[in-house]
Amino acid sequence: MTDQDISYEAARGELAAVVEKLEAGGTTLEESLALWERGEELAAICQRWLDGARARLDAARRERAAEPG
Amino acid sequence: MSEPEKDKSTPERPWPVRVVSQKIGAWVGKLGWVWIDGQLAQISRRPGTQVVFLTLRDPSADLSLTVTAHRDVLDAGAPNLAEGARVVLHAKPEFYPARGTLSLRADEIRQVGLGELLARIERLKRLLAAEGLFDPRLKRRPPFLPHRIGLVTGRASAAERDVLTNARRRWPAVEFRVVNVAVQGPAAVPQMIDALAVLDKDPDVDVIILARGGGSVEDLLPFSDEALCRAVSACRTPIISAIGHETDTPLVDFVADLRASTPTDAAKRVVPDLAEEWQRIGQARARLNRAMTGLLDREQHRLDLLRSRPVLARPELMVDGRLADLTALRDRAGRCLAHRLSAGTDELGHTLARLRALSPAATLQRGYAIVQRPDGTVVREPAQVAPGDALRLRLAGGEVPATVTAS
Repeated sequence: MTDQDISYEAARGELAAVVEKLEAGGTTLEESLALWERGEELAAICQRWLDGARARLDAARRERAAEPG
Repeated sequence: MSEPEKDKSTPERPWPVRVVSQKIGAWVGKLGWVWIDGQLAQISRRPGTQVVFLTLRDPSADLSLTVTAHRDVLDAGAPNLAEGARVVLHAKPEFYPARGTLSLRADEIRQVGLGELLARIERLKRLLAAEGLFDPRLKRRPPFLPHRIGLVTGRASAAERDVLTNARRRWPAVEFRVVNVAVQGPAAVPQMIDALAVLDKDPDVDVIILARGGGSVEDLLPFSDEALCRAVSACRTPIISAIGHETDTPLVDFVADLRASTPTDAAKRVVPDLAEEWQRIGQARARLNRAMTGLLDREQHRLDLLRSRPVLARPELMVDGRLADLTALRDRAGRCLAHRLSAGTDELGHTLARLRALSPAATLQRGYAIVQRPDGTVVREPAQVAPGDALRLRLAGGEVPATVTAS
């Protein structure tokens, strides 16, 4: 599964796991950096999903507002 | 076998009309006296004659027979006979050779009373129920929003107006295909059956309303007719019956897919109310919106919480922590080195003091001198030097060069 088609829930789940692992510590600097980069990536994916959903919702609302009657 | 041979007609020996007429009369006469159940379509009492002509119809099919009866027969059995009445009569078919017509000659006519008619309907109801025609599992659900509604009702009737007006009020775009029929009298049943067949065949019609306004029990009799009930049951299109008032329950109500109490009620059941539907859709949309917005807000909150955790929000901590470790180690290393240095310095001081304690400087101060050769060797014996040798005299205050003159 590439990041393009990872679902919101999968991304959020992985993000939570990354955060827990980072918080638990015990990783090397290199590992920590890689984990953090992955976390940022996942957070961005989640945000894209939420932004996209909100944009669609807003578009539908505008369409509804433009409808006659 | 010569008789049939002789009787057989051929182009060479055709039968005269009188023979054919006589033979038909004989065939017709073979049926003899029968009891017949039918409905009176027409009565004509011609003045000046004792014979009354009746047209007897089948209540369910477009079939009729002419009946003749003596006025006395009519007066004795059914004095107030009117058109549309249900009768049972005892008659014999007769062929009238003079005009080549067939009619029934009745010698007894009985009008079927209302009580008897209702009892017949009850028997028919039990029969149809036993056959399973009223089974709720056979009922088809009319469509929520029909494409086109078939309407079978009387021409320009109140029932027609009630259905059309009320349906249009609820759903202005509603489409009807109306077939007007007789809703009472002898022609009602065959016409309604034909109309149902026509509408059932129309692929655009996806529900049919059979409507009639209120009337007397006799007026509503066609709607309890067996043939009509079977035709309704056989229709593939869902049928809504809307006959008379709330209290009327003709048999067709039991076989119809949906029973409306009145034509107005049928209009309410056949199409949804547009305004009401808009309102429902609006409410559903608002709920949908709220649900989606709520979901997005909750998810955004969860994501924000994750992102605000220090490990993600302040990634520099990851480096800072390690940098602090590094600095501490460097400090420790520095302190360690400084300690070692000062310890070294102290040791050096002590060694110097000890060195100084062993130094000849104090002795020289007291006026002694050290004699050294130029290479630094200390001269301890006179034999060590010869005249002319260069010497160095080390005093407390400095050096004095000298030369040996004699020994």
